[in-house]
Amino acid sequence: MSTVVERQTPGRYARLMTTLLRETLRLDVWVNRLYPTDFNPLYYTGGLSNLFLFTLVLSGIFLFFYYDASLGEAFASVQYITDRVPYGGIVRGVHRYAADGFIVAILLHLLRNWFTDRHLFARDNPWISGMFLLLFGGFIGFTGYQLVWDERAQLLTSMFVAMLRSIPAFGATLTRLFIGGLGISDGTLVRILFLHIGPATALYAFLWWHYVRLRHPKIWPPGVWVLFCVGLVFLLAGVVPMTRETIPAAAPAAHPTSFPMDVFFLIPFWLLNFLPAGVVVLLLVALFVGGLAIPYASRRETPVEMGVRHSGVAQVIDGNCTGCELCYYDCPYNAIVMVPSPGPGLSKAAANRSLLAVVIESRCVECGICIGACPFEALELPKFLERDVLRQVAEALRPGSGQAVRA
Amino acid sequence: MTQVPKVIGFICDWSVDLKPLSDGGRLRELPNVRVVQVPCSGFVRPDWLEEALNRGADGVFVTGCPYGDCLNREGNFLMRDRIDQLQRRLQRRKVDTARIGMLAFGLHDGAAFLAEVKAFVDRIAVLPPAQPARTAGRPAVAQPAGTPEGERT
Repeated sequence: MSTVVERQTPGRYARLMTTLLRETLRLDVWVNRLYPTDFNPLYYTGGLSNLFLFTLVLSGIFLFFYYDASLGEAFASVQYITDRVPYGGIVRGVHRYAADGFIVAILLHLLRNWFTDRHLFARDNPWISGMFLLLFGGFIGFTGYQLVWDERAQLLTSMFVAMLRSIPAFGATLTRLFIGGLGISDGTLVRILFLHIGPATALYAFLWWHYVRLRHPKIWPPGVWVLFCVGLVFLLAGVVPMTRETIPAAAPAAHPTSFPMDVFFLIPFWLLNFLPAGVVVLLLVALFVGGLAIPYASRRETPVEMGVRHSGVAQVIDGNCTGCELCYYDCPYNAIVMVPSPGPGLSKAAANRSLLAVVIESRCVECGICIGACPFEALELPKFLERDVLRQVAEALRPGSGQAVRA
Repeated sequence: MTQVPKVIGFICDWSVDLKPLSDGGRLRELPNVRVVQVPCSGFVRPDWLEEALNRGADGVFVTGCPYGDCLNREGNFLMRDRIDQLQRRLQRRKVDTARIGMLAFGLHDGAAFLAEVKAFVDRIAVLPPAQPARTAGRPAVAQPAGTPEGERT
């Protein structure tokens, strides 16, 4: 990292984050030895998440057509899908394992972008929408386990109701809203089905927010990774079929006390073994709020504190701008918009312009990519001017400066 | 060419870690290579590379993060394209394309980076010397890359 500004005694968090950054990039060096950088899967965690989500949506639509949301029929319809529908067991397995892949991919995506400082300053929109994607994704996984309506689902429902009840003031109302009345009924499963599919639809709204400030987001991983991941999911669905867990159907008389654990979605329920429900709820809320605060609440809030270059928001030089849109196409964060030009520019090239570039300051990350894009010298970083660069170049080439060593 | 070629490298703050490699703006192992640190490889305006060549540098290169891992998402890809264009443009003026290079190395790739820079310098060292003092004049960058040479100023 450049140390344009020497920072004074970095805090513990800052040092930790620097270490994590270095270790993340060291891991990349290893992965890059296995794969060319174009295929490094760690560079495509976002694309992989989207791929798994797409797989989930397609397999979910298939399952939806066979699922029957009522207490008596839910389990039977799932059994019917698994045993009688052609390839139904495979599709169910795909839905399950793609969900695990989705959680793994978004957690990798979160950690990588956290550790490499790609969530800071003007780049907080993807982070905040990403936290909502994680929250909704986890909740969708949980309702997915309930839809099967076996003993695990029954136990999960009672545990979730216990967690809802522990919320002060609103607990009873939330519980009634969730189970649709005073007791579990057919209406409950209809609600759970909606709470499975509704938030899944909302994921796409959050994805729009996730992408809105990015030009050319990497939505899909490289083709070979698409084939590999889809193939892996299908292979798992065939080799480790869903029927391996034989959980009996839920029955009002049954009082299950344990269920096969799933580390991807059910960790909060595992915590209930040790902690009271209220504490688990509090922990989840704290995690979510803490996650939202990560880009803002750290001590290394400013570039100066982080010891990175602070070049200032890019500035358009009105007189030189020709309205050619090159910077507009190259800005990776959509921070440049073209507006109708209020008047002609000063330079000859800018005399007949019809558009003018404007930098939206809140979106600018000060990377300077627009400066490289502009052939008309109409953009500058205020604290690192073209003049400064050319002076450095001239100094480097001054006769005698680099000539001490001869061949 | 008897003299060690003068080379200027524009190096992204986030790519290869220069602290152990450089000293007072030049690489410790290759003192003829001067480095200019920039906030992102995409910050470099192709004009500046041309300017450096016009002022007497024997070669210029830009170093960004590994492709796919630019901190600013696209800087190194954009720079690679711009350097391709610049090479095509300068080739028509009989400037050897080997004099302009685009490298991509991560924070910990110091050794690989040095090896690549050495290879770059070696490639330049065997070239016949560039014509001194090409009529400088700002290149007509406004023209698209496909414009015939005769129409250039």
